[in-house]
Amino acid sequence: MSAQALKSDTPAAPQTPEPGPFDSWLPSVARADEPQWLALARADATERVHTQGAPTSKSEGWRYTGLRALLEQGFTPVDEPLSALLPEDIDDLLVRGLDSHRVVMVNGRFAPQLSDLADLPSGLTINGLRASLAEAPTALADSINAVAGEGAHVFASLNTAGLDDGMVLHAKRGTLAEKPVELLHLSVGMDEPRVAQPRHLISLDDGAQVTLIERFASLGDALYCNNALLEIRLGRDAALKHRRVQLESPSAFHVSGVYLSQAANSRYDGVNVGIGARWARTDVVTRFSGEYADCNLQGLYLAGDQQLLDYHLDVHHGLPHCASRENFKGVVHGKGKAVFDGLVYVAKDAQHTDAEMSNRNLLLSQSAEVDTKPQLEIYADDVKCSHGTTVGQIEPEKLFYLRSRGIPQALARRMLCIGFAGEIIDALGNDALAEYVADAVGNRLEAAPL
Amino acid sequence: MLSVKGLKAEVDEKEILKGLDLDVGAGEVHAIMGPNGSGKSTLAHVLSGREGYEVTGGSVSFEGKDLLDLDPEERACLGLFLAFQYPVELPGVNNTYFLKAALNAKRKYHGEEELDAVSFMRLMKERLKVLHLDDSLLKRPVNVGFSGGEKKRNEIFQMALLEPKLAILDETDSGLDIDALRVVANGVNALRGPERSMIVVTHYQRLLDYIEPDYVHVLAKGRIIRSGGKELALELEEKGYGWIVDEAAA
Repeated sequence: MSAQALKSDTPAAPQTPEPGPFDSWLPSVARADEPQWLALARADATERVHTQGAPTSKSEGWRYTGLRALLEQGFTPVDEPLSALLPEDIDDLLVRGLDSHRVVMVNGRFAPQLSDLADLPSGLTINGLRASLAEAPTALADSINAVAGEGAHVFASLNTAGLDDGMVLHAKRGTLAEKPVELLHLSVGMDEPRVAQPRHLISLDDGAQVTLIERFASLGDALYCNNALLEIRLGRDAALKHRRVQLESPSAFHVSGVYLSQAANSRYDGVNVGIGARWARTDVVTRFSGEYADCNLQGLYLAGDQQLLDYHLDVHHGLPHCASRENFKGVVHGKGKAVFDGLVYVAKDAQHTDAEMSNRNLLLSQSAEVDTKPQLEIYADDVKCSHGTTVGQIEPEKLFYLRSRGIPQALARRMLCIGFAGEIIDALGNDALAEYVADAVGNRLEAAPL
Repeated sequence: MLSVKGLKAEVDEKEILKGLDLDVGAGEVHAIMGPNGSGKSTLAHVLSGREGYEVTGGSVSFEGKDLLDLDPEERACLGLFLAFQYPVELPGVNNTYFLKAALNAKRKYHGEEELDAVSFMRLMKERLKVLHLDDSLLKRPVNVGFSGGEKKRNEIFQMALLEPKLAILDETDSGLDIDALRVVANGVNALRGPERSMIVVTHYQRLLDYIEPDYVHVLAKGRIIRSGGKELALELEEKGYGWIVDEAAA
């Protein structure tokens, strides 16, 4: 008799809720001190987490990105802020020569003692999310989920369900911030694998101009998870330069979502650099709310042995006369794996859309893998759209040219990789940051068997 | 300095060099001339260690070492330099950074200290003057967007910095107008010296008006079929290659 037949003979057990894959991530106790709207948003999100469950390889957008290793860790939320760190403890993690207004988050919690927010230009306010909620409990009620919405993937729901702290940045109309704002996510390993879920709300009123340098770094090579979510709202004519440098610990898991809403004639100029983490998934989702807005997404990923770096870009052109450009480059070595999934959707009414997508990859070994999926879905008839993808190896002629000048093979390969990446490193547009990234890329490649 | 004996080499299982002999002494300039397809560039590439060429016979000794045993970078560090017929463009690789990496690789090989940025810049400026090169080339990615003449001058500039013992100029005249040719030749002549040998590979006699060789060799069908002084080049210019090739075949 088969096992199945046996089963069917057994009376059905009473329905108990199945344990969910993300149960351990959810906060165990309700927070008494939080405003009711937030408690409701949290409860809604928690319910969505249960309904959504963990995406499988059958879900669109997760085909190449397995979640097994992430789920096995049983991450639990960070419960206590880590306040023991002193400014000198993070000296090694700073970018030499970078002059910035600095916000430091330690394991997802705003750390004022490590931050430097003196002399903010008038019109620019920066605060911790917890502090903001404490000061004005209802002020952010319309901001949370205003851009990310409720339709995003389960990690966005998790971020809302586990919402704890973050950065709230507001630039008033016409504010010009000369110095960049640096948002450093610092992770420190704890006894158990912890997940931090910072939520950042960034809002630029009409005509404001800000540069945000967002960094992820760790003390030591601890196992932890970051699930960060940014909601960015750009008013008319506002301009945000957003640099993101992911240098998580090699054992870390990283999820981040950048959700953007752009009003007329606004400019978003984003550069994503991914070097660290064992497993990293980044989503950038753009929606235009006005015409003549411009969204420029560039990126560089460097995936080595046993590393997975996954980028999903989703630009939705629903209105005419907007422009978007996606330019991502990747270097994959060892048994590294990278995923690039770029979607540009041009709705029927989005005439005169100008969209360009490019994804170029350099594979340095036989076992390196890249899954690239550029998608243009165009329903308007008067548009300018293009896309291109390449996957190649280091060209032997170039390698020979360098070697014929006495440069050892490993260094020559490194030079060519850095040369390939150079376009994106230059796009960072900040010498100190570019040098920091170039060094990080060089160090990673130096450690890799080329 | 360099001694090539009975060198045989194949590309894609086709034999190109069929037993080539060549001896180059210190400070000598040898011109290798020959019709298209005679194996001139193959010789240059085999000597510099390019992949894709299989040496099937003979030997090459350079400064007493078995050259064929060495990686291209080691050959370069020992003092071999190939000026490319088609210099390669390296997008994203800054020319100054490239030159410094090359020079320091060589210094490291010889157990010398690497040059710091200031000493390196000083050395570069000094060599630039000798070659009348515009220093804007140094700030650009290697050879990217360079004109044909600029690329060739960049090759000679690299040679000036790396100070090789043996320089192989592979069709350095190709693609150059007469003014550019003169500039490149002047650069090469400025680098001539009792310790520096050169092999000038060329199809035309024209280059040899500017870089005067001590010896001229005619390469045809993978062998050197005639050697002589510089007057041999003039004779070739006048009569072409046909008569020598026919004579050698007879």
